[in-house]
Amino acid sequence: MVVLISFDIDGTLEVGDPPGVLTMDMVRLVREKGFLIGSCSDRTLSGQRAIWAQHEIEVDFVVSKHMLPDVKAQFEADVYYHIGDREDLDRRYALAAGFEFLWPHEAVAHPHFLATG
Amino acid sequence: MTTATAPESMYRNDEGLGIWEHRGKVAAVGVGHAPTTRRWDGRPETSVGAISIQALRRAIEDAGVAPDQIDGLVVVPVTTTGAFWEAGKPLPTDVIESFEQTDDPLDGVAKLSTEWLLANMPELSNVQFTMYGPGCMSNALNVAAQAVGDGLTHTCLVVKSWHNFEGRYYQGGANAGEALPGTAAITQLWGAPACYGTALQFAEYCRKYGKSHEMMAPFMENSRRNGLMFPEGYWAQHRPEELAPEDYLASRWIAKPANLFDNDLPIMMSGAYLFSTAERAAGMRQKPVYILNHASSNTRSRSLFPTLDEVEEETARTARKIYEGAGITAADLSFENMYDGFSLFHQFHLEGLGYRGIKFGEALDFYQTDISIEGPNPVSPSGGNIGSGRSRVWMHTDCIQQLQGRAGARQVTGVKPEVAVSGGPMPSGGNYTVWSASPD
Repeated sequence: MVVLISFDIDGTLEVGDPPGVLTMDMVRLVREKGFLIGSCSDRTLSGQRAIWAQHEIEVDFVVSKHMLPDVKAQFEADVYYHIGDREDLDRRYALAAGFEFLWPHEAVAHPHFLATG
Repeated sequence: MTTATAPESMYRNDEGLGIWEHRGKVAAVGVGHAPTTRRWDGRPETSVGAISIQALRRAIEDAGVAPDQIDGLVVVPVTTTGAFWEAGKPLPTDVIESFEQTDDPLDGVAKLSTEWLLANMPELSNVQFTMYGPGCMSNALNVAAQAVGDGLTHTCLVVKSWHNFEGRYYQGGANAGEALPGTAAITQLWGAPACYGTALQFAEYCRKYGKSHEMMAPFMENSRRNGLMFPEGYWAQHRPEELAPEDYLASRWIAKPANLFDNDLPIMMSGAYLFSTAERAAGMRQKPVYILNHASSNTRSRSLFPTLDEVEEETARTARKIYEGAGITAADLSFENMYDGFSLFHQFHLEGLGYRGIKFGEALDFYQTDISIEGPNPVSPSGGNIGSGRSRVWMHTDCIQQLQGRAGARQVTGVKPEVAVSGGPMPSGGNYTVWSASPD
């Protein structure tokens, strides 16, 4: 099964401002599981790339908040997730693009983010 | 001491006033900035009051004057446009009690009064003149300049600070209420974001002159570049990220054609200056920067938002006031630092000024040329709010620092910094200052 996960940054990832509950190790975990991963943020595209490069995590995409439909069009997966902390910018955009949506606290408890999941 | 809001008589609102009577007789000397942060962390030492004290003390030190020489204080009392203490939320008592208090418990937390500052800065033992310059530093500068010129104060501090709380911006205050007061019920009926009016004007501009939003990219990139050379600013201090055209143009719309980066980033900051008479300034630590004029725009638009025609008419009128009172022309400007809080209106200011001879409809083409600090036509060398975060202060600090030769990596090299103008906020509605390296 092909799983794609899109991460918001600020308020979602530990490296965000404000910091979120999802750690970069959690991101590495799903990377190691072979998931397609990337970020969907209001940060600049180059800024997002810099964060991933700084943490030596290879991602499949970086996009702006409104570009989840482009991600879905570009990558074929069995399920698409977006994880974010905002009702308007994350959940609404995700559902409109046909993504499943997880709040950060839901994501950390999700089997995908468990080593045994 | 009761502090009054500056009366209309302090401002130069009209054309035909002639040369400003205090031209070259008032000078800015000291500059002080507190460290910026994205939002308040709840500690006393990072509250808006605390950072205001920090900025003021730095300005005093920078000018090299003893605090008891200071006899005036001009303050912008409102420290936000969109971050409000949530109704019903417990007050930060530990923070409030860390300072000498006034009658308003949020003084020093979500607003700033002269009384609070003087109570918490005992070294300012000889302040006899206080006044509020409402809204923006641009306004307060006009008030301070006029006050020093009129002899109301001979050594005057001016301060503007911003607070920012966690959570959404512009979602609290009146916007969280059950009803809107007065005409806001009409102008805000449809809940448009703050940049809506500017977006409408820019859209009409692009239609009228055959331009596009993409043409803004070089200006944005240049502004952020300049901001990253502004060590007092937010982006340089916390997130040294450039704003390349790809980044700018990939952003989502807020109110098309205004995207996310056409709106400035709310931050916490405080900036302060020390003004004095030209005579006293000559003996201070830093090179005086003389004020040739101040001018104000207070035109009322006909309807809910100014139209493009009204914006063009008003920016041209403001420019005439600026030049008339200073006794200069557009050709005398070394550079400009007009406001950019919504990036899309910076070119309205430029065109109104006739900066480098550009006419209405030509600014976006001008952005495609060399507008860098190294070139002959520097645009917004401060980088403005795009470059350093929401403050409405960077433009003034840069003017002073450029003319003092203290702008560091940001120092303009393609022109000799002699005369500059800064101000805002809006193309229709703002205050402006003309600065000079020499009194004449």
